[in-house]
Amino acid sequence: MLFWLIYNDFMLILGIETSCDETAAAVVEVKKGRFLSRANTVLSQINIHKKYGGVVPEIAARKHVKNIIPVIDQTLKRARVSPKNIDRIAVTTGPGLMTSLLVGSQTAKTLAFAWNKKIVPVNHLKAHLYANFLHNKKVIFPVVALIVSGGHTELILMRNATSFKKIGQTIDDAAGEAFDKVAQLIGLSYPGGPALAKLALGGDATAFAFPRPMLDADNFDFSFSGLKTAVRYAVEKSPRLTSPLKKNLAASFQQASVDVLVAKTVRAATVYKAKMLMLAGGVAANVLLRDTVTREAKKIKRPLLIPDFIFCTDNAAMIAVAGYFEKPVDWDKIIVDPNLEI
Amino acid sequence: MSTRQTAYTTSGTETKALGKKFAGVLCGGDVVGLFGDLGAGKTTFVKGLAQGFGVRRVVKSPSFTLMNIHQTKHRGIKQLVHIDCYRLTNPNQLEEIGALEYFGRKDIVVIVEWAEKVKRLLPKKFLKVYFNIKKGDEREVRFG
Repeated sequence: MLFWLIYNDFMLILGIETSCDETAAAVVEVKKGRFLSRANTVLSQINIHKKYGGVVPEIAARKHVKNIIPVIDQTLKRARVSPKNIDRIAVTTGPGLMTSLLVGSQTAKTLAFAWNKKIVPVNHLKAHLYANFLHNKKVIFPVVALIVSGGHTELILMRNATSFKKIGQTIDDAAGEAFDKVAQLIGLSYPGGPALAKLALGGDATAFAFPRPMLDADNFDFSFSGLKTAVRYAVEKSPRLTSPLKKNLAASFQQASVDVLVAKTVRAATVYKAKMLMLAGGVAANVLLRDTVTREAKKIKRPLLIPDFIFCTDNAAMIAVAGYFEKPVDWDKIIVDPNLEI
Repeated sequence: MSTRQTAYTTSGTETKALGKKFAGVLCGGDVVGLFGDLGAGKTTFVKGLAQGFGVRRVVKSPSFTLMNIHQTKHRGIKQLVHIDCYRLTNPNQLEEIGALEYFGRKDIVVIVEWAEKVKRLLPKKFLKVYFNIKKGDEREVRFG
């Protein structure tokens, strides 16, 4: 009996993620409800995409095909785990690019069939939140969580580890998309977001009075399309895009975005009586956002979780953690859905 | 609106209303290409268009996801496929994401943002809408 209990409390999960830019695999160990990433491999295609100024699906898919088996193989070796010790496979089934999602899911199905394992289909957005469960972090519910990435900006209420309720979202552009597009407007190359944040460091955030879209609206939705257009107007008004001007544009835009993101998250935490705040997604790596949300969470006396940098951007460790909470199914029950929502 | 017509809008709300009106003249199987710069109002127009078809879900920019498929509340047209070619550099990539399968189907209307990037893969008789940024929030929307 004791043996059974101990056995049941230990799990090794192989996570696979190919929904967008990254070909990723990870092995996560679950022990007494705690999650440890034993190996986490992320092969970024950003350098390939840089040449083309965006995520190109054809290239993304092709590279995934070429890389997925070596990435999984290397991950298992680094985790010192043999396939027979894997308890289950977790794979992203949406949202994402159909062509990219299929590479990961077909690989997972093939391995599940060959190794005789069950698969857990994982929602990529929920997985971003599960990144906060990694490395012994204690989660106190209810949680109000902000997911910010290139494709998504959503506020989620979690009443327990498997209850997700969308309480707000962007009604047009995602925050990360706005960062990328504004970066292009001021002449930065892809991926624009991090470059824009870097440029903003030397700028004056009060130089331009950009709008704070929907800040006073009586809901938890966001809008970044108008903010992007406001930057465009400012660029057009300027006779020459000098270096200090670019810095000021970047800093002012970043401040406007962060102001709205943080204000709405904090307000949602109060309204929904959250005991904890969470940040997740690629834009959670943005330093101004991290600093501002940390300061504001302190003001309302709520603990805050932000994933380590490597677990903010797309990775497979978060997919593996999600795989612990969801129900495993047979390989032939896996269906991908590019428009999957929370 | 297949003949050349030009409309002027002075706000996003008006651009949206124009999109909603445009939905009324579309037929199943239509493919609509949208042309215009960042911030010209393409996605706003599609939001109105989706409203015209009774799409319940929030219509977001597909720049990152590339293709969003919306279920409608319309009798004949069951789906609105919203494609964004902003990130594409080679027209063939449109085929790679499986977009061509939706063209010309009687129960589907397809909207393609940044249509200039994939012109040669669109059906011969695709409808064109051009967005021009005028002064401030003013936009010229040309149907051709």
